[in-house]
Amino acid sequence: MHELSIARNILELVDATCHEQGYSGVETVRVNVGKASGIMTDALVFAFNCAKDETLSVNATLEIHEIPVGGRCRECNSDFISQETIVLNCPRCGGAAFEITTGHELEIFELEVDG
Amino acid sequence: MKVKMVKKILEANDRIAAGNRALLANHKVEAVNLMSAPGAGKTTLLEKTIRALDGRVRIGVIEGDIQGTHDAEVISGLDVPVVQINTGGACHLDANMISDMLQEMPLDELDLLVIENVGNLVCPAEFDVGESAKIMLLSITEGDDKPLKYPLMFQKSEVLILNKIDLAPYLDVDMEKIRSDAKKLNPDLKIFDLSARNGQGMEDWCRWLEDKVKSR
Repeated sequence: MHELSIARNILELVDATCHEQGYSGVETVRVNVGKASGIMTDALVFAFNCAKDETLSVNATLEIHEIPVGGRCRECNSDFISQETIVLNCPRCGGAAFEITTGHELEIFELEVDG
Repeated sequence: MKVKMVKKILEANDRIAAGNRALLANHKVEAVNLMSAPGAGKTTLLEKTIRALDGRVRIGVIEGDIQGTHDAEVISGLDVPVVQINTGGACHLDANMISDMLQEMPLDELDLLVIENVGNLVCPAEFDVGESAKIMLLSITEGDDKPLKYPLMFQKSEVLILNKIDLAPYLDVDMEKIRSDAKKLNPDLKIFDLSARNGQGMEDWCRWLEDKVKSR
């Protein structure tokens, strides 16, 4: 249940940003979660809703944008996007020499706030 | 009103982990994060490793458990500095917990700090605690399907220890499948086969650890 730790980190970062910039409350928190980041999105939403009391996000909705796993193959020089969470071979040429470029994201990218 | 921001969610953890890493480096202490499922043999391996390296490497231990002090008591019987963290339910250690405990450790008197993480194959791999290497322990009794079921831990570890190999004759486990699946996930993974119970393979692992400490 690491999603609870992650949810608490999100709430703290949002509170800090609101204090810093003078916002009084938050309506929506938008996050990017990579498919290979090991996060269960349903569990993250559940944890967020459990932990948001007594924060500026108390009335906020957590909106998750899932980022697929993508990579660049060094054998066939192509960029690929995979539907899998774990890529073991390049989906184009089957080669094993590739680097993963997306899918590990775990970041807040936007808030809807009250002035 | 929309506000754009780009904040890594684990930024706070990663910042504290970087502080831990710097503190350990200043004191010339190598730190390893020992991770496995419950019951894979982390504490037994640690106990045998401390005995084997006695007089060669000065070891301190941070024990992470959800509750209880059993493991810390076992290790403190070996006369090495040990502190216990009880997470009270959290399934992993994070950088902040380690930062508090580093204050309790006699860092100038240590060469190696072993952080024994909470038994769990998922969450511990998510959190950087400031270690220089993650070491994963998999007992072969857990089955040969584990690398592909719990990939993150295999991907993030520098070393995989296959423990309890003395039990291989009694198990339907394909050790070659474990090795090849783990290598597919992480081609650089260094794998040691050992039995902490009967000591088989302990020498290679201890030599690797000692070399790691010397090269710090």
